[in-house]
Amino acid sequence: MFTHLFKLIWNKKKQNFMLMLEILVSFLVIFAVFTMLVYYYKNYRKPMNFEYDQVWSIGFKMQDRPQSNDSLYVFFEALKNQVKSMPEVEQLSFSGHNIPFSMSTSQNSLDYEGRHVRSIHDYTVSDDHAKVLKLSLVSGRWFSKEDDASRYQPIVISEFLKDKLFGTGEAVGQVLDKESDHPRRIVGVVKDIKDHGDYQAIESAMFRRADTNALRWMEQALIRVKPGTGVAFEGRLYKALASHLTNATIEIEHLTNKRQAKNSMTLVPIIIMMVVAGFLVINVALGLFGVLWYNINRRKAEIGLRRAIGAPAGSISRQLVSEAMVLATLALIVGCFFAVQFPLLNVFDLPASVYIYAIVLAVLFVYLLVIICSLYPGKQAAAIYPAVALHED
Amino acid sequence: MLKNYFKIAIAVLKRRKFFTFISLFGIAFTLTILIVLTAFLDHLISPQYPDTKRARSLYINTATRTHSGKGFQSNGPLSYHFLNKYVSSMKTPERVGIGSIFITTNTYINNKKLEIDMKYTNADFWEVQEFEFLEGRPYTAQEITNGDHVVVISEQTRRDYFGETTAVGKYFETDNVKYRVCGVVKDVPITLIFSYANVYLPYTLSKTGRNDTRFEGMYTAIILARSKADLPAIQDEYQQTIARIPLKGEEFNELHSYADTYLASFTRILLGKDDSSGVGKFVLSIGLFALFFMLLPTLNLININISRIMERSSEIGVRKAFGASSKTLVYQFIIENIILTLIGGLLGLALSAIVILVLNSSQLIPHMYLAINFTVLAWAFIVCLVFGFFSGVYPAWRMSKLQVVTALKAQ
Repeated sequence: MFTHLFKLIWNKKKQNFMLMLEILVSFLVIFAVFTMLVYYYKNYRKPMNFEYDQVWSIGFKMQDRPQSNDSLYVFFEALKNQVKSMPEVEQLSFSGHNIPFSMSTSQNSLDYEGRHVRSIHDYTVSDDHAKVLKLSLVSGRWFSKEDDASRYQPIVISEFLKDKLFGTGEAVGQVLDKESDHPRRIVGVVKDIKDHGDYQAIESAMFRRADTNALRWMEQALIRVKPGTGVAFEGRLYKALASHLTNATIEIEHLTNKRQAKNSMTLVPIIIMMVVAGFLVINVALGLFGVLWYNINRRKAEIGLRRAIGAPAGSISRQLVSEAMVLATLALIVGCFFAVQFPLLNVFDLPASVYIYAIVLAVLFVYLLVIICSLYPGKQAAAIYPAVALHED
Repeated sequence: MLKNYFKIAIAVLKRRKFFTFISLFGIAFTLTILIVLTAFLDHLISPQYPDTKRARSLYINTATRTHSGKGFQSNGPLSYHFLNKYVSSMKTPERVGIGSIFITTNTYINNKKLEIDMKYTNADFWEVQEFEFLEGRPYTAQEITNGDHVVVISEQTRRDYFGETTAVGKYFETDNVKYRVCGVVKDVPITLIFSYANVYLPYTLSKTGRNDTRFEGMYTAIILARSKADLPAIQDEYQQTIARIPLKGEEFNELHSYADTYLASFTRILLGKDDSSGVGKFVLSIGLFALFFMLLPTLNLININISRIMERSSEIGVRKAFGASSKTLVYQFIIENIILTLIGGLLGLALSAIVILVLNSSQLIPHMYLAINFTVLAWAFIVCLVFGFFSGVYPAWRMSKLQVVTALKAQ
């Protein structure tokens, strides 16, 4: 059966070559779209593991700060107490530039017994950060005043990073970067957070405790406000901040809005790509439909003859649909050969499973497309009367 | 002759309506996407309000500071001090406009929150950029040196803050500081980052980096040349100036910065390497993208064309039998196909006009208005010709190979 169909296609290889090329290119386009969709969907399914609904960020760009460490500390404590004294504010923490859903990132590396882990998101934050964002600890504790006297810089790492560094072993209490001037000690492990939006992949993260030196450059604060706090309070807060930070440019943002902005930065390109790919697919489907239909019209005599010697209508339409499927299969084999190179060569640093899902989905999609496009022409062919068809020639 | 081909092409189009629809749909859709993208690129690259003198302007975006020994590298905008000391003092330019990157702040009025993007500028900024003043005037060099609290606001900010009235002479408050409004300008979209802001302030009012003598900061410069021919001379002078800057006592020992034309100032950040500005790479990648994007519709059109051409085998057979050469036939078919693509192109143009209208009225990017202008039209026409030519060549070649006998027998 298949060898027969294959022979039919091979005999018209010149005519079918262009059709196969078209199916091949559409497969590659669909594969690319599905790879993206699968990747983002997998990320989207993972929980955020922090709460941003009632959190506002305060950016204060200022350069003229108190000079000595003591006065710097006093200045920031006063700011913190002033803001926290407002009844609407529940918690406050200071942070580096890379607050959740911001455009800036900061990365660092860690060493542990010869293992070197790169591209770790590096958050410099003050003690109340976990309370502001409601981070959930897996083990250990968050850093606090009791670390003041510690010989090591206390850090909290994410589960993902813990797995990278220690596997199933215990992380809390371990000392990292022993060789360097600033050895760090892990005091806790938190669940992985998705602070770059709903569609980001889980990446390694470490939180380190802000020391007085960090107060020289930190320009962000996060506050958790009581539910239902509105713009009237925001205006008052802004005034209060502006009178304390006389030399700063202040910006208050809501993390919910920042999340939306960040998500749309991922979504807009996806939507544009899907619209374009969608139209390309419609285009190809119409073309495929037209060509198959036309080919069947040209084979009226052959089909009429088969009907005359007793082939049932179902068998005729089955033959035509299967012919189209064999054609698609040939194109897909070549297409899969190219697509498989992506996980094999690890081109875009995505997990192999994403590519495999995408290949399977794209193959199914192309088959579906081909079946839909060949069903109607197949039915038309089956409706040919042998007498009419044979009369024509 | 062409008239004849045109008639035949129309007749063929009318014959199989479904095929015609598929072909025209494919062409029109492909062109719509390309035209909208070109319009967007054109909006980004060619001179726009208020940056209308782009042809004789050079832009200094960033500087890269490296220390080869320590492996230190830092890249970013420059300080006002640096630009004022080294760029404003250059001999060849006519003027040097200096503006900061925009800084966002809030202001609250009537229980409403406004997000304000501020830009600090010098006086020449207003000469280099051609802003349209709806009322008032820009702040002067005198006001800047005095440290007067004056600002120029955008039309949008005037509407949000003052309502539908005039604003000049009134006071605008943000960061607990009151500023007197001295002018109102027409809005600028955020895509023009050298010009965009809601509120423009004298650089002397900046809260950060006033007395800073470091190199890095938040300012960019626009250098206006007397004529387009002066641009290379200015670039040379800037390189010489950069080379002479003493780097003693800094944490880096190499300083690289370039005065680039508008497009190059962006491609250098994205694609530039060493001395090359990356414009070539940019054009190449855009071209490759367009080609790849057109590949699928072209293949589709080729397939349809092959089907349609075989339908006309009797016509071809007759013409061949009467002595028409393969060349004539190929020529005819390609012309026919180009006519078809041009018709599809017209449809695509109409479609893209609609898409652009929708995009403009939706204000996806505030104050951005795309337009189909002559450049876009010219590109669309070229794309049409290429599209028509390539999708016609292979089917025509296949057709011309047809044996007279088979062609005549087919029907």
